[in-house]
Amino acid sequence: MQREGHVIGGGAQRPRPKDRDFLCEEDIRQTVLEGRPGLLFRLRLPSYRSLPLSCIERIELSVDGRPVEEAGMRLILGGHSYRLDELPGLSKVFWWILDQADLFVPWSERLQAGEHEVEGMMVTVEPYMTGGRYAMYYPSRRRLALASEE
Amino acid sequence: MSDTAVFKLGISFHTFVQEYISFVYSFEDMMEMASVLGGGVEIVGPSNHRGFPEVTPEFERAFKSAVERYGLVPTCYGSYADPFMLPDRDLTPEEMYEYIVPQLKGAAKLGFPVVRLQYFSHLIAERLIPWAEKLGLRMGYELHTPLTIESPTVLMLREQIDRLGSDRLGLIPDFGIFARSIPQYHLDMGRRAGMSEELIAKGQQLWAAKTDKHDAIEAVRAAGGDEKAVSWVNMVWGSLGHSEPAALAEIKDHIVHCHGKFYSIVDGDEPDLRYEEVVKSLLDIGYTGWVSTEYEGGPADTFAIAKAHQEMMKTYINKHRQR
Repeated sequence: MQREGHVIGGGAQRPRPKDRDFLCEEDIRQTVLEGRPGLLFRLRLPSYRSLPLSCIERIELSVDGRPVEEAGMRLILGGHSYRLDELPGLSKVFWWILDQADLFVPWSERLQAGEHEVEGMMVTVEPYMTGGRYAMYYPSRRRLALASEE
Repeated sequence: MSDTAVFKLGISFHTFVQEYISFVYSFEDMMEMASVLGGGVEIVGPSNHRGFPEVTPEFERAFKSAVERYGLVPTCYGSYADPFMLPDRDLTPEEMYEYIVPQLKGAAKLGFPVVRLQYFSHLIAERLIPWAEKLGLRMGYELHTPLTIESPTVLMLREQIDRLGSDRLGLIPDFGIFARSIPQYHLDMGRRAGMSEELIAKGQQLWAAKTDKHDAIEAVRAAGGDEKAVSWVNMVWGSLGHSEPAALAEIKDHIVHCHGKFYSIVDGDEPDLRYEEVVKSLLDIGYTGWVSTEYEGGPADTFAIAKAHQEMMKTYINKHRQR
């Protein structure tokens, strides 16, 4: 099956693992969800395996130093939009490790073009540690640009 | 040729996890790499396929197709008990049973002969055994630090296995239980967490003296360690154990698979784990199953380091095998 010059494992030329912050290095998108204007941020699960959504304890986010209220945020995964206070009950819904989600943040004004300071924290439970139940804290801080509108 | 059979070398995809979850290696890439890393494939259920705890028909076909294409042998499916998945309480035994049975069915669909169980599953092992019989599987509790061969929990598991008297239930030693020293990887983690060289040296002394984890935490706190130092102790005491390689003889009838955990290879050896003694012990007890290479150190060329691990294993096998 091997091609000429094909190196199994990629050898020294293969790309290095990228960062695994819960905030992806992707542009901020402006959108309207459930009739409300807001922003979308691309998220990844900062574990090494899929987790049921009941293992997501908390998501915090601030944009340009302004904290976002949890009640307005939605986690959008696989075409479904979830309130954060629904997550504890969703032990049958798995976030597969290679899937990315969107976080919707209500935002009534238009965001200025250019880069914005985005800072946040995801708190999860790795649900199987021999030592018992404990939370994992994943802080992330990025400068993300607003996506241009074609 | 009158060589006696020796154990076989394969790969756990946990080795490649950093590349896999950051889209450097695809699942197919890992299957291809497995073909030149002994050919035995161990996968991590909730990491390596969509649809967990079930296996989708799509993944079943993709997996079997790659097994055929590269001439691989499925060796072990990593199942999870996840007792802490609910925020307000632990799973009941009934809920854990409902969670694990689909994983056994999925493993069997994919052609795995062995399923790794987390020890939490001991609460329902008696009910899983009929499923293992029906599906043609053997199940093994992973002996991962702090579950050393000599620990009270493992003595309890061994008693249960003896009492239930089924060869469907056994053990999977993870070689992290056979440590002689704390790897550089863990020492560097302590430094990144802000621990002083003196505090790290103190931690090394406490670990070498086989100090109980709670006493070690007290001692590290007394020496000025903060909460980050305490979580370093938790991590080290939860990764590196003091089992004796010769103690594999005590559990030899129950070993269904092995995890060849390692953190680094320096000059052809794993400096912090007692690999030569482990290989000699596996040969002495006549183990002929699989050992999955399972890297868990820092960023590295994981394909190259997995090859180096298997070269080390082969060197020790050739040195100690009976001809």
